Amino acid sequence: MSADRLSGLLERRSPGAWELYRKVSDARETDLTRSERREAFRRENGWAARWWDRGLRFACASDPERLAAAVAEASRLPARAEAPPRLPGSKGERPAPDGDRPLPPDVFERLGQLVAEKSRGEAVLASLALRSGRAEERIVNGAGLSVSTGVARRDGVARAVGRRDSKGCETRAVFRWDGEPDLESLAGRLADGATFPLAPRGVTFARGAWLLDPGVAAAVLAAIAPLFCADTLPRWVKKSDFAARRVRIADDASADAPFDGEGTPTRRVLVVEDGALAARLHDLRSAARAAELPTGHGVRPSYRDLPRPGPRRLFLETSQGSSPRELLGSVGRGVFARALTAPVSVDLALDRYDVQFTGVSILAGRATEPVAGARVRGRVSELLSRFGAIGTDLQFFPMPYPAGAPTVLIEKVTFE
Amino acid sequence: MAELEDAAIARWLEPLASDQGDVAEVFVETRRRTVVDWSDGEPGEARVALEAGVSARLRRAGRERLVFVSGAGEGEVREAIRGLTSSSGKTAAAHSAPAPPPFESEPDPAVDRWIRRLGPIFARHAGRGRLTWSLVDLDRRVVPSGLPPARSTRRLFSLEGSFTAASRRGDEIRAFSFHAPEADSTADELKVALTTASLPRERPVPFGDPRGDVLFSGGTAAVLFHEILSHTLEAGAEESPLSRLSEARVAVPDLDVRDDASRLDLFGGYERDDEGTRPRVVKLLDSGRLGGTLSDRSHGGARGSTGHGRRAGPADPPLPRGSNTVVSPGQATTEEMVRRLANGLWIDEIQSGSVELASGQWRLEYPHARRVRRGRFADEVGPGILAGEILSTLSAVEPVVGREVRACRSLGWCSRAGQVVPVQGAAPDVLVRRLSVRDR
Repeated sequence: MSADRLSGLLERRSPGAWELYRKVSDARETDLTRSERREAFRRENGWAARWWDRGLRFACASDPERLAAAVAEASRLPARAEAPPRLPGSKGERPAPDGDRPLPPDVFERLGQLVAEKSRGEAVLASLALRSGRAEERIVNGAGLSVSTGVARRDGVARAVGRRDSKGCETRAVFRWDGEPDLESLAGRLADGATFPLAPRGVTFARGAWLLDPGVAAAVLAAIAPLFCADTLPRWVKKSDFAARRVRIADDASADAPFDGEGTPTRRVLVVEDGALAARLHDLRSAARAAELPTGHGVRPSYRDLPRPGPRRLFLETSQGSSPRELLGSVGRGVFARALTAPVSVDLALDRYDVQFTGVSILAGRATEPVAGARVRGRVSELLSRFGAIGTDLQFFPMPYPAGAPTVLIEKVTFE
Repeated sequence: MAELEDAAIARWLEPLASDQGDVAEVFVETRRRTVVDWSDGEPGEARVALEAGVSARLRRAGRERLVFVSGAGEGEVREAIRGLTSSSGKTAAAHSAPAPPPFESEPDPAVDRWIRRLGPIFARHAGRGRLTWSLVDLDRRVVPSGLPPARSTRRLFSLEGSFTAASRRGDEIRAFSFHAPEADSTADELKVALTTASLPRERPVPFGDPRGDVLFSGGTAAVLFHEILSHTLEAGAEESPLSRLSEARVAVPDLDVRDDASRLDLFGGYERDDEGTRPRVVKLLDSGRLGGTLSDRSHGGARGSTGHGRRAGPADPPLPRGSNTVVSPGQATTEEMVRRLANGLWIDEIQSGSVELASGQWRLEYPHARRVRRGRFADEVGPGILAGEILSTLSAVEPVVGREVRACRSLGWCSRAGQVVPVQGAAPDVLVRRLSVRDR
């Protein structure tokens, strides 16, 4: 069965109110440890259909014949009545960037050596998983849309283990390399994450400034990101007074892909401007519910998932940034949060957050001693209003979409 | 793969696994997943997935290569094997694949039956809320070189989400999670689970104390032992604090914990693992002494695989993983266990858990609990986090264990290295002293 026949089948079921998505990907994953090497080559074909026929229905399959059968089965299921949104009708094509940049063959050894050096021999690289690949997504719909986008990616996760006396600690670092591999920075995160928790003490003072490493700040940003896509905002959110005045949060994936997962053109959206909640990230359905225009944020984590509104390349930016060294120098007493020791926990409905981390204590603008573990918790609204200064060292991390942040200084928090 | 004989695949694989200890195999999966999101007792979005995938794998001397291709026909099997041979420098029999037969599928009658049943169940027990129901039908075939082919099928029922329950402090949203292999008794079990989850509760207060004795009730001890025994005894877990303590006594002699994949009444059960091996019951803790490890073909050594080579799907390599963590019963009644607890926390629901092998630290999150004072139930407590170190936790298990074993249906999926596999467990009441407790 061809894509044209599937389109015809969907048009007959739901004239003008359907969408057909296909993804073909070729990926290579290499898992390395000191004693093992695993390689996986994956050629995946994914098909998905979404249509409105007495309610929203979705089917996906690994080939067009199975998709036709899945469409028939999903049509028999009960579904709540929902009017179709206005589907986009643009046309466009962008192939994946050329050339699969090969990784250095001795990347495990080089990264391992850097981790050992930076940790003074206290941490070892335990494993490194590298993923690289290309994918092509093609979307057609009942409004005449026909777009195709090629994407390439190179990311992975590394794990290091620190040992001191009888104590041990493990840390993981996810990374994404848009350009050349940045082994130095990755090794630094791994070495610090694996050895700081082995320090003899936690934080020795109750209150102070909180300096967030870009990786920690990006994780906090990703944790609050559902607010930018919510149909209904929690009662504590004041749109005009959402965060400190210097905070600006944008989403702009136009360099990654010209269309989102529904075929809407990608554009830059300023979500938070001068501390005020300025816009929402919409997919087609959420835009229709809110009677607004879609913003190009229909996200498909996989062909198995229905498109949902979500960030695509979300980042914290500023026009009045300071260098990380200046930020460090401005701290009288505080803690630099270098790595998380547990996932950031956020309850957006109740306006609560909880961040557990390891890092270095700061006195008079100088890093003094490692902090084994500390915890900061409180109200999300207060955290956002206390963003004191923002760095210029913007870095992106896979969350799994690229989330970016520079070093961030939070004024006055209570450490536990 | 029905049209393609196992013998033909085995012949293609034969030249690849030339040395003793080499592993060469083809793994084929077909999966049907039906999902309906229920909102306030009414079906909302409907989704159906029909997928097939094949992978070929070759493992030799610490190096492994896996090639995955979508589809399950002869052409895909050949392509996956060719991918192996081209990368290993050997060639397999090269034939052109015939055109695949047309795909035929009959709708699953169980889906209609469940949708008819779920409406009234939700109307009675969870009228307001968002719950996602799914029924997964898995069919897996493994054709290993030099070993007989194997097939395994599973039907997995899940209901997850949250609903609004009446409470003495007003309405409150409660998370709900229920996982079971589909069986005649599933609907009745689900009704009981929903009834229990929707019982009125008092206003919770903080537990306050940084340490406390904890009575794991309602089968939740299975989650604790899944984290601190099952993960730590997975073969290849070199950083595990238990890896060099073989047969050491680490807990009271009254404690027996095993991994039992043959318990098909539990969510993590299977007849064959994803390498085609029939699973053996592995004693993780035998009268308080550390037992064996959970192994796959790569880590089995001379004793062979214990049948715990598991994959999330055909695109993933098998890893040694736990299945069902089962704790043997003792003699004590529930009332005796509560009296024995005297002062502490009684927990009958765990939301999530994790363990870090290098530091030996584990943590479990609970949504609510009951404080017990002088052997009697007191305040509602929660939510909170329990934490501890593996060896000290094992040594803090009380010698008296409950006599009634319950399946922990809220435990359903376990993630490791990005691979999510079904797991579950069953346990009697287990009392552990001096755990770290933190209010959330």
